Amino acid sequence: MTPLALLLTLSSALFTLGLFAVLTRRNAILVLVGIELMLNAANINFIAFWRYGPPDPELAGPVFVLFSIAIAAAEAAVGLAIILMVFRHTRSTDLNKLDSLHG
Amino acid sequence: MIPLLILSPLILLAALGAVWMARPVHAALLLALSLALNAVLYLVMGADFIGLVQFMVYVGAVAVLIVFSLLITRPGDEAEELRRRPGALLPGVACTLPVLAMVLFTVSKTAILETGNAPSISMESLGKTLFTSHAPAVLALAVLLTAVMIGAALLARGAHASGLPRSASCETKTADETGSEPPIS
Repeated sequence: MTPLALLLTLSSALFTLGLFAVLTRRNAILVLVGIELMLNAANINFIAFWRYGPPDPELAGPVFVLFSIAIAAAEAAVGLAIILMVFRHTRSTDLNKLDSLHG
Repeated sequence: MIPLLILSPLILLAALGAVWMARPVHAALLLALSLALNAVLYLVMGADFIGLVQFMVYVGAVAVLIVFSLLITRPGDEAEELRRRPGALLPGVACTLPVLAMVLFTVSKTAILETGNAPSISMESLGKTLFTSHAPAVLALAVLLTAVMIGAALLARGAHASGLPRSASCETKTADETGSEPPIS
C-alpha cells in the first residue's frame, strides 16, 4: 500500500465516521463534531495529493486547506451560536425534540 | 511511511471514540485529540505551517468552543438519554457503509500517479501565493470572518438584547438564568 492510498483510506474512514455521527447523534453539538470530522477528512485529501501527487508550484493544496480551516472555524462559531439560541428557547439540545415544524 | 502507519490508526481510534462515546464531554475531548493528531500528521508530511494552523484553529479554538458550548447547554437530568437516536442506527449504517465501500473501491481500482519527491513548503512562498494570486479570496475570507464574528456574538447574546421576537415560554424560563450571560464568541 502506497502512502497516498493509505491516506485516502484514512480520510474516507474519517469521513464515514463523521457522516455516521451526523446521522445518528441526538445532541446537536455532537452533530457538529461529526461535521468537523468530515471537514478534516477533506483536508487530509488535499494535503495528501499535494505531498504525494504531481509537483505543484502554485501550492494549491495547502492554500485550499488554509481557506477550508478558516471557513470550518466560521461554520463552527455560527453553528454553536445557533445551537445556544435554540437551547435558550427550548432548554434542550435534543434534535428529536426540535419538531415544531413537523406538520 | 512508518509515521503514517502509526498515526493513521491513532487518528481513527480517537475519531471513533468521538463518534461513539455516550458522554458529550468525552466525545468533544476525543475530537480534540483526533484533531491534534491530525496536526501531527500534517507536520510529518512536511506541511509545517498547515499543521500549526490546524493546531491553533481546530484544537485551540473549535474544540474549546465545543467544550464550552457543552458546559453551557448542560442538559441536566436528560444527560444519559441523550445518546443517539434509537431508530437512526440502522439507517446510519446503511448510509455510511456504501459511502465507505464506494470510496475504498475507487481508491483501490485507480492507478494513482505517485511521485516520490518531497515538496517543501516555505512560509515565504505560501505567503506570496496567498497574497498575490489568491488575494481576492483572502479579502472575501476577511469579510466572511468579520460577518461571522458579529453574527455569532449577536446570536449568542440572546433574543432580548438583539431585538428578535421571543416566545412567552422563553421569557419566563431564561430571564433569570441566562439573561445576564456574557456573549459566547
